[in-house]
Amino acid sequence: MAEVADLANDEIADVEFPDDTHATSTGISNEKLAMWTYLASDCLLFGGLISTYLIYKNRPGTIPGLAGSPVKISSLFNIPFTSMTSFILLMSSLTMVLAVNSTIRGDIQRTRLWLVATATLGGLFLGGQVYEFTEFVREGMGFTTNVSASAFFTLTGFHGVHVLVGVIILLSTVAISFKKKVVAEQVETVGLYWHFVDIVWVIIFTIIYLIP
Amino acid sequence: MSSTLDVDNDSPAHPGEHHDHGPSDKQYFTIFWVLVAITVLEVSTYWWDDILNADTEPVAVPLLIVLMVVKFFLVALYFMHLKFDRPILRRIFWAGMLTAIFVYVVALSAMNFWQDSGTVQFNDPPPAVSPPTTAEVGGATAGG
Repeated sequence: MAEVADLANDEIADVEFPDDTHATSTGISNEKLAMWTYLASDCLLFGGLISTYLIYKNRPGTIPGLAGSPVKISSLFNIPFTSMTSFILLMSSLTMVLAVNSTIRGDIQRTRLWLVATATLGGLFLGGQVYEFTEFVREGMGFTTNVSASAFFTLTGFHGVHVLVGVIILLSTVAISFKKKVVAEQVETVGLYWHFVDIVWVIIFTIIYLIP
Repeated sequence: MSSTLDVDNDSPAHPGEHHDHGPSDKQYFTIFWVLVAITVLEVSTYWWDDILNADTEPVAVPLLIVLMVVKFFLVALYFMHLKFDRPILRRIFWAGMLTAIFVYVVALSAMNFWQDSGTVQFNDPPPAVSPPTTAEVGGATAGG
């Protein structure tokens, strides 16, 4: 089987494609196409979660049959702190594009450096989110305290999970680069995911935190 | 350990990818500082009421939405290379985004989010917010 696979690869290697094209019907690699399709579908997930929070944010504890604290979770927001974590995530998008550019230049050392920097900033953001959640719970606002809290924790929690997955992918890419060659498109595809996570936070930060 | 990194120009599977398009490091830094400036302006709206001693919400909210959209497009077009990549990728992403916006604007409208129709569930004015008492906090924690 391995010989057959090698033979197939040899045959592919003999095929020449014009610049900027792939051996697919779209001319785009399947990985990149799949990532964009996934990101497009993820818009629906976050759209649903944001809408749910918007519907419930001003009506904690007022829905018949759903008892809960009348305190809105937004009254506990710490805007200066969240602004700082937003800045950290924004900075991680810069380090991510620097990683992609380093890969394009063929500079593996800088690629690793920027990928680790991006993962570190992502980790800092997650730490900030954990701290924020802990503060809310300490103030008596848990996941089931009322519907606005449930909607908030679900939305930001899902985003946090996306960041965590991104950090794992970034560190995995660094680890893979020590074992085998990493092609530029792999780093770019990881970057697409990371920037999407940043874009979603741009929306969450404005709509959930800043708009009263 | 690999000390060099394939640029992929010679790859049979992905020839020519990561070519000469896309911003340079310097351009990325410029975009980043623009994003930082926008973020600072956004965050500053939080204190506008106190600083100006007036209700700035009618100005601040539309401004925040515009700034959010600008940030969104800057990241999507430049950091995600949508501006430079193939049109099909733009179409896929915008299709998902526009579908989400359409679906959830309809959903929010169905919930009477934009106006007060008097429905108990969604449109009554929010209750007066009082600070949580120790008993409430303790009870909520125990219950939740």
